[in-house]
Amino acid sequence: MSEYWRLFKNLSRSVTTAEGLAMDDTLPRSVAQNNSPPILHLYTFIPSVIVGKYQDIETALKLDRCRARGIEYNRRSTGGGTVIMGPEIVALGLGINVDYPGLKKGVGGVFASLSSVLLRALRKLGIPAYFQPKNDLEVSGKKIAGLSAAAEEGKSLLFHTSLLVGFDVELMTDIMNTPLVKLHDKGYNCFSQRMTTVREELNQDVSVGQVLELIREAFEEEFNIEFKEDTPDAWEDGVIRRYVEERYNRQEWIFSHKHPRARMGVGQLKTKGGLLEVYLSLSGASIENVLITGDFFSTSQDLHRIENALKWTSARKESIEENLTSVWRQDMIYGLDVLTLTKAILTAKENQVRL
Amino acid sequence: MAEIKGYNMPDELYYHEEHSWARVEGTKVTVGMTDMFQKEAGDIVFIDLPEEEDEVEQGEVCGKIQSRKWIGKLVAPVSGEIVEINEDLEDDTTFINSDPYGEGWILVIEAEEEDGLASELGNLIHGDAVEDFIEREVKRAEEEREKG
Repeated sequence: MSEYWRLFKNLSRSVTTAEGLAMDDTLPRSVAQNNSPPILHLYTFIPSVIVGKYQDIETALKLDRCRARGIEYNRRSTGGGTVIMGPEIVALGLGINVDYPGLKKGVGGVFASLSSVLLRALRKLGIPAYFQPKNDLEVSGKKIAGLSAAAEEGKSLLFHTSLLVGFDVELMTDIMNTPLVKLHDKGYNCFSQRMTTVREELNQDVSVGQVLELIREAFEEEFNIEFKEDTPDAWEDGVIRRYVEERYNRQEWIFSHKHPRARMGVGQLKTKGGLLEVYLSLSGASIENVLITGDFFSTSQDLHRIENALKWTSARKESIEENLTSVWRQDMIYGLDVLTLTKAILTAKENQVRL
Repeated sequence: MAEIKGYNMPDELYYHEEHSWARVEGTKVTVGMTDMFQKEAGDIVFIDLPEEEDEVEQGEVCGKIQSRKWIGKLVAPVSGEIVEINEDLEDDTTFINSDPYGEGWILVIEAEEEDGLASELGNLIHGDAVEDFIEREVKRAEEEREKG
């Protein structure tokens, strides 16, 4: 007989950031303290933007533009960077015990297990997505979903995903403060090279409800379980209410100053392969994001692979060289080598300024 | 210096099963995260720590450690008062990766008295048990990989 998991599915309306995030935080607590089986929460947010737990919200977002456009902003309890959410973007929260049978162990294992569920759902739609270690799902070098997680009470963990069914690029460029936006302002069409959506891949109007149903099926097949649609019990309702009041509606949480210093730098280098331009976002001593552009020859897939190898890694010279070498193939960027690219990145690092 | 299944696990340290380590000098206990944790987690990008003078209990989550999109827990291996925080980590958290038992130390806990500390150390993994602990962790990961 199959085991039952609980499914909190909310399709009747999009929820506020406080409601959605408070319910997600309750999932691992309920697994740890309320004797609940794993709980999957599938839903959509109202138009909003959510930063990672340890991001500097004031440098990640143009808050005046968010307010002017009525876009809610908040901070989630899992890691990673900024995500735009809204009625066309699937939000997924999962509370599960790390020792659950079939869930691979360790940080990499958790991401590998849960990404394979989402890949299965995308394959059912006919989208040949794949896991791009450590935290993204991609189709032909373009990101379609982002994953993040946090170890919570006892042995429980909270896993978060945002999956793009549709996406408003104009909104992103107006409210976010990333190197990608800076490039967009200079006329580079960098979003279509680095991001995609379910609708764009299929060239047809797929509903969010249809995608949610496929995710549900994929979980059932992957873990050999069945879902029971459910709503929070009285204990869980109390926890959700407390998270809304004491965390997600509080300015101290949203504007938390527990974060590394955010800086950005640009480095230019004339090379044999052409002009190389590197946009670097630094979070403390780590690279949060890097964009490589210029008039050299390469493919967007290769560039994204290189950029991805450096995201959330140390900005030390040896570490940059090591991470580039781990993905490097000859002529990945025509006429360039690891040492030259490292030099351009270090130039961007030297030119860093506070955002 | 013991290397077990490719992970450096110094003999003189005591380990909590959530991968924090404890180095004991009198009643002062220096705390950090194991080599296995840092290899699993990848480059550490932020560490959210308690304040000096905070009291912690053995087994209590006293900090959070972020690598890329994963947030892990720092569990206090012993009870006591936090008397020192490694301020160098403010500039570069990847010391936890490059030198987990040296420059990557995280904080120092001062235990109230030696007897209580000795009894708490008995709850931690030490000596021959460390090899079993790491082998168990590695085996569990391998079993799941095979199933997957």
